[in-house]
Amino acid sequence: MKRILSIAVWIAIAALGAGALGSIALHRGEPLNATWFVVAAVCCYLVTYRLYSAFVAAKVLALDDTRATPCERHDDGRDFVPTNKWVLFGHHFAAIAGPGPLVGPTLAAQFGYLPGTLWLIAGAAFAGCVQDFVILFCSIRRDGKSLGQMAREEVSERGGFIAQLAVLAIMTILLAVVGLVVVNALKSSPWATFTLAMTIPIALLLGLYLRFVRPGRVLEASVMGVALVLFVVVAGQWVADSASWSRVFTLSGVTLAFAIIVFGFAASALPVWLLLAPRDYLSAFIKAGAIFSLAAGILFVRPHVLMPPLTRFIDGAGPVFAGKIFPFCFITIACGAISGFHSLISSGTTPKMILRESHARFIGYGAMLLESFVGVMAMVAACAMPPGVYFAINSPTSIVGGTGDAAAATISGWGYPLQGQTMTDLAHKVGELTLWNRAGGAPSLAVGMSQIFSGTIGGERLLSIWYHFAIMFEALFILTVLDAGTRVGRFMVQDLGGRVWKPFGRTGWMPGVLLSSAIIVGMWGHFLYQGVVDPLGGINSLWPLFGIANQLLAAVALVVATTILMKMGRLRWIWVTLLPMAWLVIITMTASYQKIFDGNPRIGFLSYAKVLAAQIAAGKIPADKIAEMQRLIFNQRLDAAVTGVLAAMILVLIVEALVHWYAILSHRKESVLHESPYIVTRWAADFSGVAHGDD
Amino acid sequence: MRKTARTTLRFLRRFWRGLREWCGDAAYERYLRSPGTRSGSRPMLSAEKFYVEQLNSRYSRPNRCC
Repeated sequence: MKRILSIAVWIAIAALGAGALGSIALHRGEPLNATWFVVAAVCCYLVTYRLYSAFVAAKVLALDDTRATPCERHDDGRDFVPTNKWVLFGHHFAAIAGPGPLVGPTLAAQFGYLPGTLWLIAGAAFAGCVQDFVILFCSIRRDGKSLGQMAREEVSERGGFIAQLAVLAIMTILLAVVGLVVVNALKSSPWATFTLAMTIPIALLLGLYLRFVRPGRVLEASVMGVALVLFVVVAGQWVADSASWSRVFTLSGVTLAFAIIVFGFAASALPVWLLLAPRDYLSAFIKAGAIFSLAAGILFVRPHVLMPPLTRFIDGAGPVFAGKIFPFCFITIACGAISGFHSLISSGTTPKMILRESHARFIGYGAMLLESFVGVMAMVAACAMPPGVYFAINSPTSIVGGTGDAAAATISGWGYPLQGQTMTDLAHKVGELTLWNRAGGAPSLAVGMSQIFSGTIGGERLLSIWYHFAIMFEALFILTVLDAGTRVGRFMVQDLGGRVWKPFGRTGWMPGVLLSSAIIVGMWGHFLYQGVVDPLGGINSLWPLFGIANQLLAAVALVVATTILMKMGRLRWIWVTLLPMAWLVIITMTASYQKIFDGNPRIGFLSYAKVLAAQIAAGKIPADKIAEMQRLIFNQRLDAAVTGVLAAMILVLIVEALVHWYAILSHRKESVLHESPYIVTRWAADFSGVAHGDD
Repeated sequence: MRKTARTTLRFLRRFWRGLREWCGDAAYERYLRSPGTRSGSRPMLSAEKFYVEQLNSRYSRPNRCC
């Protein structure tokens, strides 16, 4: 009886999900209520978690709870710490949830709400969650080894080296693009710039408190820090209202880019407890609070989605970024559906803290479903504003026109009615000087979020506070990715440099620290500066480059996962990782080819360089602008070269893996699995990671 | 009524403990309790040293994603 009831409940959930998906896919005419998005996503997640992840856990991976996990074998209270599965879920989610699932769907909304939403749900269920889950499992079975180590041991030495290079490449481009998102969010905004600048002294204060006053008392320090940050969000309004202070904090894109470069260098070279860690604590609490509030706000306000299911820009002529729906919708959504970067978390800290193998399903698969849900919420927030406003915020002036009225006319001409005055009024309401040409996703998401939040608390009166709270939330945790990433990048540079010259590899040697920090900051700083001065808006070239690098890393992870499944003798179920891998290879290869060679200068780097070179040759460029143009040409060629190298790396890895797989399947090579030996667990079945007497 | 209050209290206690574990507030207590520390194979760290060592180790590998 119980079983029949359970089946009936699951059939009802599946039917509700199918109905909601059908509604958002087939709906035409009146604007659709956002509740349908939430229902469709949640029902799909429940069904795929209940069925597909259970199938992967039982059949494909055959999780074994009698086996001791790394934290039981090496419990040292430092790295290997047995952790309750809910706490570890929180840790893992806080680590994987970055700006990608917020920015990617916001940018992909230019195709309409439908393609992005479908890919967010399906891509997560069948690719992203599977990648995170399988890599977590593989790392648990190998004492928490990293993706690079597993690639080296299970695929080949070269595979490991490619994985390491791919990580460095993605890190460089990621840091540049997130820096650009912050620049576009803070540009000409004294309120937002002041608020974010103040988070630095607040973090320093917390750093000193946590180091010298109450070592390690993170919770009380974070409560103080969050209160101070909320205060400076409000205080930003006073700064914006004061003519003299407002001038100090009104900065151009280039100035902000240099400020972020200096900040990244400082965060990398200074002791980690002083600036980086306290900012991370603040960011984690504010991120958790803002994401929870956004979900609650959407359910409470139930906004209407004003963007059509598909826009005219599926043809590739989109103003936010150029390129057709295939492959650029998938490349742009990136992290909300599948992110290669997650494989670094799944093969880093999490496997060293997991209590049982079966928890990998909840933590690996489940946390990625939640990340996908964040992506769906970002899509709703972006699509809940009138499409004309969305395009006005996200389009560069080189496409829509420099003045408000000209831009409004261009956007209205596309079929998305907009009046210049609407943008002026909106900017005034949210306390900004202008909202035109603020590409990058952060300002439009902040407008969407503030409208949802103000619909819940405060109404229009608090719109400006909510807008700047949203900007602060995005910029704060984006910069946390930037400083933490710069530091990890510094270690990678030191590791690579140490192979050539030993002292350089010593992490405590100050000249090495400074030089390696300068190298990694110089690498992403170059791309950031290039993005800021790019007349096409920077996001147009950098975000696809980031998407390609990220999806490439996911392909690397899935190659490793497929190889391990093959060696485990799970040939029958190999499609679970092989199909998403093949899909990623297809989209990254197509996108790379188009970004390098496409004849449309807004898509192809080389054709854009050619157009610029032709303009110089024809004497159309004033003499004082020629040097700038030549730099732009060099940057386009550099972008083409980077894309080419990324594509070549994945091709080499695929060939390497195919040769390896053929050797295993034809028994020319012995299939050696590098798992840690089986040791039976001594923990009782109900041990939850909580020390005796705590309950 | 009393049962509901007891359940709520237990839930709040668990939530509080989970929150402390999640943000790292309880890391040192956990360290002191761990078998690795109790075995005495490595010198025991003070709260301050443990905090700095933990941070150095956490931020030397990817721990914040895109």
